[in-house]
Amino acid sequence: MEIAYYPGCTLHASSELYDIQSKLVFRKLGVELKEIEDWNCCGATSAEKTDEFLSIALPARNLGIADASGFSEMVIPCSSCYSRTLVSQKKLAGDPALLESINAELTQKVSGKIKIRSILELLVPRAQSGLIGEKIIKKLEGLKPACYYGCLMTRFPCDMEVPDNVENPQGMEIVCSALGAKPLDWAYKTDCCGAAASVNDAEMSLSLMSKIMKDAVARGANCFVSTCPMCQFNLDAYQEEIREKYGIAERLPVYFITELVGIAMGLSPHEMQIDRHFTEATGLLKELELI
Amino acid sequence: MTTTAIKYEPDLSKPLLHEIMERSGQNLPACYQCRRCAAGCPVGVEAGVTPDRLIRMILLGDREEAMNNLLVWKCLSCFTCGARCPNNIQTARITETLKQMAKEAHTEPLLPKVAAFHNAFMKATSHFGRFNEVEFMGIYELENTASAVKRGNLKIITDEIKASSRLGLAMIRKRRLHFRLARVRNLAEVKALYKKSRQQTDR
Repeated sequence: MEIAYYPGCTLHASSELYDIQSKLVFRKLGVELKEIEDWNCCGATSAEKTDEFLSIALPARNLGIADASGFSEMVIPCSSCYSRTLVSQKKLAGDPALLESINAELTQKVSGKIKIRSILELLVPRAQSGLIGEKIIKKLEGLKPACYYGCLMTRFPCDMEVPDNVENPQGMEIVCSALGAKPLDWAYKTDCCGAAASVNDAEMSLSLMSKIMKDAVARGANCFVSTCPMCQFNLDAYQEEIREKYGIAERLPVYFITELVGIAMGLSPHEMQIDRHFTEATGLLKELELI
Repeated sequence: MTTTAIKYEPDLSKPLLHEIMERSGQNLPACYQCRRCAAGCPVGVEAGVTPDRLIRMILLGDREEAMNNLLVWKCLSCFTCGARCPNNIQTARITETLKQMAKEAHTEPLLPKVAAFHNAFMKATSHFGRFNEVEFMGIYELENTASAVKRGNLKIITDEIKASSRLGLAMIRKRRLHFRLARVRNLAEVKALYKKSRQQTDR
């Protein structure tokens, strides 16, 4: 099957590996991700904080393109893009005047029919149905991930139907278990890493990340798994700083969910681009004889 | 923790409350100060103001304090407060409103780097319709430098250069920094949305 795909800016830049992994992994599962034409930046948290109109209008242009694409579903792996696009769609469904005002500027109008999916909404049913299990070549035995969801997968600025438990989501655990890994129960799975604060309020962000890191270590995790490119980037790129500043001896690779699915299905570390992590990520997989 | 008394301004409280309720879409008077938001807020302790207290300031009409406190600038929009509020008040929407009000009132932001970050993000995406990290960092550092020079704080500049070059170099090593500029083909359409936004603010 084919499904519409909105990568967002990050998956075409600093988290390009997530884009590459997603396409390959879903192809293996029989799903082709079809990138929508000529999409724009969703505005992310910055539009939400500074410009109410653009925070709805920027994702709306992408929604219009997706609505006109003929697909019934669109997957958005980035948590921020996912959240902003859903919020825009919901707001426009309840505000005909705003919808008209925005549609007046668009060649491809928002009709509201495209169903927005997170990456977990695609993976979880395929794990539960046994499809992922059938494709597994290498069970991820010995891998003890702390599944880290961050904020935007389950919490929204307005009422929203959330496809998982808000405070204790289980989607990533279901997928990791299907891969043969042993995800751990821990307390910081939906805590905030600071997102952009790692750049504009660094001390604050490092302190938040240190708590996340300390709990994962205390529970005996040997890695993090994430679906969000901001969470992944922060815990990966700033880990050395956190360890130094807060005296944490352990070093935990920070995987995207897609690379774990890929490795388990026999895709190579090269195909999964595992060498592009800031915190060394191939050593653990070798040690556990998974690659 | 000691907290300063909040000034009650009966004549001022109504217009301030109504303005913030209208703009944020949040029903502030429903707050009964249970402080579940305070318990979950990741920045409340460091900011010295928790969501419940911010709501109280607004209800009592303390416009100055409501716009100039660290919660407004440290709020990460993690939405924990709103997810746990028994009355469905999303304080992140309130801090966003207050940031916009502070900007319109030309108030100096308490955390200039936070304001510079979001301004630079919007400016960068307005140029090509997509967010380009290198372009963004350039605009952001320029805004930061300008604001640090204005405040006569040059140490901020050197610290900033050190931090961003450390990150930039690590990104290059891991092939995670891209120098090619991504661009929307139908840029005119994106620009029209930016224009409409400006027209709405001017009105």
